[in-house]
Amino acid sequence: MAEVRAGPVPYIYVCTRMRVRKSKLLPREEYMRMLNMGLAEITRFVGESQYKKEVDELATSFGGIDLIEIALSWNLAKEYQNIQKITPGTLKDLTRAYLRRWDIQNVLTILRGKLHGEKKGRIKEVLIPAGELDRVFLDRLLEEPTPERVIEGLKGKSVYPLLSRAMEGGVKEDLLPRVENDLYKQFYADLITYATSGVKGGRQFLEYITLDIDITNIRTMFRFRAESPGEDISGVIIPGGTIPPPAINRLFQIKDRNEFIDSLVPYIRIRPLRELLETLREERSLREIEIDLIKVQLEEMETMAKLNPFSIHPILAYLEMKKYEIFNLRALARGKESGLTPERIRGYLVV
Amino acid sequence: MAETAAVAAAEMTVEMVKASQLGMKALGAGIAVGLTGIGTGLAEMAIGSAAVGATAENKDVFGLVLLLTVIPETIVIFGLVVGLLLLF
Repeated sequence: MAEVRAGPVPYIYVCTRMRVRKSKLLPREEYMRMLNMGLAEITRFVGESQYKKEVDELATSFGGIDLIEIALSWNLAKEYQNIQKITPGTLKDLTRAYLRRWDIQNVLTILRGKLHGEKKGRIKEVLIPAGELDRVFLDRLLEEPTPERVIEGLKGKSVYPLLSRAMEGGVKEDLLPRVENDLYKQFYADLITYATSGVKGGRQFLEYITLDIDITNIRTMFRFRAESPGEDISGVIIPGGTIPPPAINRLFQIKDRNEFIDSLVPYIRIRPLRELLETLREERSLREIEIDLIKVQLEEMETMAKLNPFSIHPILAYLEMKKYEIFNLRALARGKESGLTPERIRGYLVV
Repeated sequence: MAETAAVAAAEMTVEMVKASQLGMKALGAGIAVGLTGIGTGLAEMAIGSAAVGATAENKDVFGLVLLLTVIPETIVIFGLVVGLLLLF
């Protein structure tokens, strides 16, 4: 009701804040500079930037790579929660729907951790409580002694019906990949249902979902072509994108790379993605392809945010870019710790 | 009907015509200031909310966004000038 009375003002306010926050993200040059730093210097650099508060809070308990990792995760979770607080009306609902993907990741992390007998503290370090399941709820799940009890603890949450059905005979490691796929399929199906339910701003949200599904499916196709060409891909394809699942199955059967690209391109409406696919005719590593696909997705989200400046797009663009900033800093820190060369680490960065 | 109007016009004195003209000028001035005021308000609504958003993230831009927020004030000043020209 408040947003109806206030008109477009809250939308303009939040979208401007997102734009300013986006401008504060680390530029490409900073990453290039950090490539030549050591781990201690990177830690200091991170500690002096917008992550200062988290680094200061955690510095007494952690050090080195752990400090960076946990500070980055905390910062991301805090940022996402803060955005949920400041977004108005339907934008808040759309943002929450988008952030529910972290619930899937957190629940699966806890289940995997419990299956491998990891300590609570260790699992907690990698959780990002950004979705419906908050820090207190996740702490309660971590207290559960077995994976089965973790699933029981999720009763009433959106992930529970599917998890309980899939894990009826007990939680087993080999069931998790299939459950993960099904959870993400359900997640996207729920998003599409919500976006098409007539909610204000649903059309723009649907544009983003379609883009995300397309990029995910194309990435899956390239991954399967590179790693397990003979396998059945239908179980991992997410319906709802511009490429229908039967077409993806057919495309996946095409062995010749040029022929595969030729058949794939007509389904793609986004020009930068078509151009990227054209460059993929020559053999490239899977990692390079994945990073390029992410870059195209971010560029496209940026374009959408410019076309619809006071919609969900600027918020989603910022959320995604922030995620990849964390991803980059983590890759840098991990790479430095493992003694990788700057050129090698550069290949893992989304810049 | 036309007959009644003709009789009324014939009965109007010079003073009455002058008073009527003054009234119309005052009405025009009021409309000029009022409508431009509404236009300014609408323009400042969007700029102001963006300005508050930008300031919330970065306090250094306060001076700049304050300047940008008051730029639509020119619209109401034009209205005021037109109003004053009409009245004096």
